[in-house]
Amino acid sequence: MTRPPSTLNSRLDLWWSRLAAMTVKELIQLGRDTLLLAAIVYLFIFDVYMAGNVSMQLNHAVVVTHDADHSESSRELYYRFHAPYFKLGGEVLDAREGLRLLDRGQALMVLDVPPDFERDLKKGKAVDVQVQVDASNTVLGFLASSYAAQIIGQFGSDQALERLGVTERTLQNVPLIQDQHRVWYNPNQQDSWFMPISELLTVVTIMALMLPAAAAVREKERGTIEQLLVSPLTPIQIMLTKVIAMTVVILLGTGASLLLVLHGIFAVPMKGSLLLFFAVTTLYTFTTAGLGLYISTISRNLAQATMLVILVLMPMLFLSGAWTPPEAMPSGLRLAMYVSPLYYFIEMGYGILLKGAGLEVLWDSLLGLALLGMAIFSFGVWRFERQFK
Amino acid sequence: MNPRRIRALAYKEWREILRDRLFFVLAFVVPAALMLVFGYGLTLDVEHLPFAVVDQDKSAMSRDYLHRFMDSRYFDYQGDVASERDLAPLLADSRIRLAIVIPPRFQENLQAGRQAAVQTVIDGTFPFRTASSKGYVTAINAAYNRDQLADYLSRSQGVSRETARTMAQPIAVQLRYLYNQEMKSVWSIGAALMMFVLMVTPPFLTALGVVREKENGSIYNIYASTVSRGEFLIGKLTPYVGISITNILILWALAWGLFGAPFKGHPLFFFLASVIYVTCTTGVGLLVSLFVRTQVAAMMLTVVVTIVPSVLYSGLLVPIASMDPAGQFEAHLFPAMYYTDIALGSFLKGVGLEQLWGKVLALAFYAVLLWSASFLLFHKRPKA
Repeated sequence: MTRPPSTLNSRLDLWWSRLAAMTVKELIQLGRDTLLLAAIVYLFIFDVYMAGNVSMQLNHAVVVTHDADHSESSRELYYRFHAPYFKLGGEVLDAREGLRLLDRGQALMVLDVPPDFERDLKKGKAVDVQVQVDASNTVLGFLASSYAAQIIGQFGSDQALERLGVTERTLQNVPLIQDQHRVWYNPNQQDSWFMPISELLTVVTIMALMLPAAAAVREKERGTIEQLLVSPLTPIQIMLTKVIAMTVVILLGTGASLLLVLHGIFAVPMKGSLLLFFAVTTLYTFTTAGLGLYISTISRNLAQATMLVILVLMPMLFLSGAWTPPEAMPSGLRLAMYVSPLYYFIEMGYGILLKGAGLEVLWDSLLGLALLGMAIFSFGVWRFERQFK
Repeated sequence: MNPRRIRALAYKEWREILRDRLFFVLAFVVPAALMLVFGYGLTLDVEHLPFAVVDQDKSAMSRDYLHRFMDSRYFDYQGDVASERDLAPLLADSRIRLAIVIPPRFQENLQAGRQAAVQTVIDGTFPFRTASSKGYVTAINAAYNRDQLADYLSRSQGVSRETARTMAQPIAVQLRYLYNQEMKSVWSIGAALMMFVLMVTPPFLTALGVVREKENGSIYNIYASTVSRGEFLIGKLTPYVGISITNILILWALAWGLFGAPFKGHPLFFFLASVIYVTCTTGVGLLVSLFVRTQVAAMMLTVVVTIVPSVLYSGLLVPIASMDPAGQFEAHLFPAMYYTDIALGSFLKGVGLEQLWGKVLALAFYAVLLWSASFLLFHKRPKA
């Protein structure tokens, strides 16, 4: 045994070595739970990979036609509904059959062409084309109807110009607007660049909230916290080590996920500084862990803690900007969003990885996260210390 | 199977849940709270897109054209910037989501009968929102061009503007949105949220309830008692299924009463299908609890098997129809997808057993599978 420390320096050394010893204890404890480790690896690697194969865009939606005209024009119109957005599902003989397919979800859209469609078109008379869209999923319904309107509109004006004898050459003399788009950051709008990042940020959030909360409540539930309290450790040390250990695990997982899945499989361009990304992740983990520790102080057992974690986690995940854009949120919830650490993390995560933004652009988000982090973390520490008094 | 023992066990479990006040309250508060927060906050409508303008022409016509964007509820005008170079920091900071660039001599070209290129710069970070924004811009530009063409035709053919309009665009599209005429996303989401909340909460309740006995060691009382495996599982889980059934009714009332989602289907059918579904999700929790020894692992594993699939593979946010074959295959492996169809079908489409029997059968099959697997995996004589 060494003799009791006297100088400030050696006392600090002791403080640090105790912290290190406790952190190692936490890591060993985590490492012994094979199933837990498997779950962590699964979430960081396979789950992020699976998310990359999921798309939110309209893709091969089945369109059937109820064609009362059976003309060349009606067929041409129908054949314009093609991949990637649409898939031709054939013809139905009456409107009821079309409805039945919609009811069963076997078709998303029914195109209803009236009789004498071609004749009226050739005469330049106005015709109505009816489109029935399954809007039970509003996202799909909206995309399908707007693409359908585009396709039919294009077909209509093509027909009209042909009838009027307006050629490409004469069209040059019509003062039209050329619609040009440029998409930045993700030029081909690949979901495989967006979804894995979103999923990775989600996984980090789940871990940062759950692991420290669980580690802290477990000690309480099993009674091992008494042993820790009679040890020379201060409450802050007990608490910090849990956060540090889990942060190490999360950073390792994030690194593996970035390298193997995002870079290795999906070739997401990582434009910004990875160092900044990891720094931000660390700050975020600490902030969220503070929230987890706070939860651990109000719950007596893990069942309670888990329910509370879900109560905090789910709104955070869905309302922080990855799914619902801030500008579309009702104003009350928008304010709530500014106290969600994930909001800042999403801003910076996408900003650094996809947009290549640096501190000069992201400083306000970073400042927001840092302030929030300090507030949450010190509140968590305060509560954690208080429960032992 | 001895009904008395099952009853005694169920009663014991019920007392235990009831005595843990916070847990008992949370078992009802969490589902309802999730429903409320998402119902009000989770909107997938792409609206109020903040945009900036680079107007290099600053003419009457360019202002007139830009007003079509400013007056639309889909766009929120944030101001003018001097050049395209100033857009980069705004887009990088998400202060704007798109920008419209009007070229110099826009008015001059159009008046001289020449075409003018208008460029739209869009933030592609969120591909789904990008696709919608592109759609809006295209629609506005197409409408503008239709007007221009009509003007041109009325001048060159000497007809009235109205006639020229029909000449330029003879086909009128009549869109009918079935099942959700006003396209309220809260209707769809309200129904789909029942799936989500009932997928997430019952497994957690169950898994933690069972693993707690294991971790505390109180399960040895069961091992040493005359209670058989089947009796234990049924007795233990009855209160959790009961809580979840109450939650079905609460969530249903919220979706219908608060969000105003119409319920067009058959109430009894939907209720029974929902009971099968929660039996299923409770079974998920049960199976998880048999694999793990600690509550922490139970928690993590439940996250893996419930939250992730019910977000990605259920049709809540990501439509199953637009997945690639591998994704669709995975979606069919999880029970969530079937129940989403049942909920949307019952709420919005008003279809019943004759259309949905396949999905109900899939859920029932899933429930039987989970419960029998749990029965086979549960041993009263644990291996060390």
